[in-house]
Amino acid sequence: MQTGLQYKVVMTTNSTPPVDDEPLQSPDEALALLREQQGALERDQLGGIPWILGVWGVAWLVGFGALWSAYDDGNPWFQLPPAVAAVIFAAALVAAMAISGWIAIRLNRGVRGPSNFSGAVYGIGWPIAGFSAYLMGVALALNGMDRELQSLFFPAIFALVAGVMYIMSAAIWRSVDQLVLGIIIIVTGTAAPFFGAPTNNLVMAVLGGGAFLVAAVVMRLSSRSATR
Amino acid sequence: MTELDPVIHAAARLRITATLASLEAGDRITFPRLQELLDMTAGNLSTHLRKLEEAEYVAVEKSHQGRTPVTFVTLTRRGRRAFEDYTDALRAVLGGEE
Repeated sequence: MQTGLQYKVVMTTNSTPPVDDEPLQSPDEALALLREQQGALERDQLGGIPWILGVWGVAWLVGFGALWSAYDDGNPWFQLPPAVAAVIFAAALVAAMAISGWIAIRLNRGVRGPSNFSGAVYGIGWPIAGFSAYLMGVALALNGMDRELQSLFFPAIFALVAGVMYIMSAAIWRSVDQLVLGIIIIVTGTAAPFFGAPTNNLVMAVLGGGAFLVAAVVMRLSSRSATR
Repeated sequence: MTELDPVIHAAARLRITATLASLEAGDRITFPRLQELLDMTAGNLSTHLRKLEEAEYVAVEKSHQGRTPVTFVTLTRRGRRAFEDYTDALRAVLGGEE
């Protein structure tokens, strides 16, 4: 059988000789090159994730910080009109969704095949679960849940959704960092309502937003050291 | 001494094979994206892909997305096995170093 090794390279469209075609000097060189390439790929594929986490960290910090600042007994340094706080909160979340969605879609660009299924299911899981959580809150509000309880309920249920999604992400892409993050987000969302309004927003901003930011830094550092 | 597969044992093809092997089995990647990941010229990448294709390590598939032609590249089962054998052989040559 032809090994496919002895051929003359006669290119029709490109007459320059191939680059990096010679046998490698030594196994060491080959191993070094292999590691370098695998490291570069990992950086390329995982490099966006710290940014996704960072964007969400800032969004939670700013968004819930704004809500906390809308109460008389909230932020002691300055107070925001509730309407302004609501707009800041919504803007922060929408911006984070848009930016992180864009980064996530770019992560796997140019690749088709079985792995697309996991990514697509995971991607669609976010809006499905998020919208369902929102409708539950609306149903409770329509049946008499007052504004104060709503301000406890909504952050808690969204934190639960986000936490579960991060745990799923940890399972699909085998990431312990994201598992830890998911658990912290769930703990935050569960603990926050016990503080009552408006302190629950502060808990969400500091613990939740902080967890995202710490996770972003940890993932960035670990992907660097793993590929050195 | 263990033979190192000469098809893979060249800088460009080792990098290409390693990149394709990092995809999940059965996943295909577009030519431009592969080129971007490898930072190689299109001409050079095609030349090396042709060699890998001749060894049946790589399958190149042309299809269409709407009207634009898209070229997908994937590692064949044989190619994936060859890459694994290659990395095993490399480790064996280097004295079982992890």
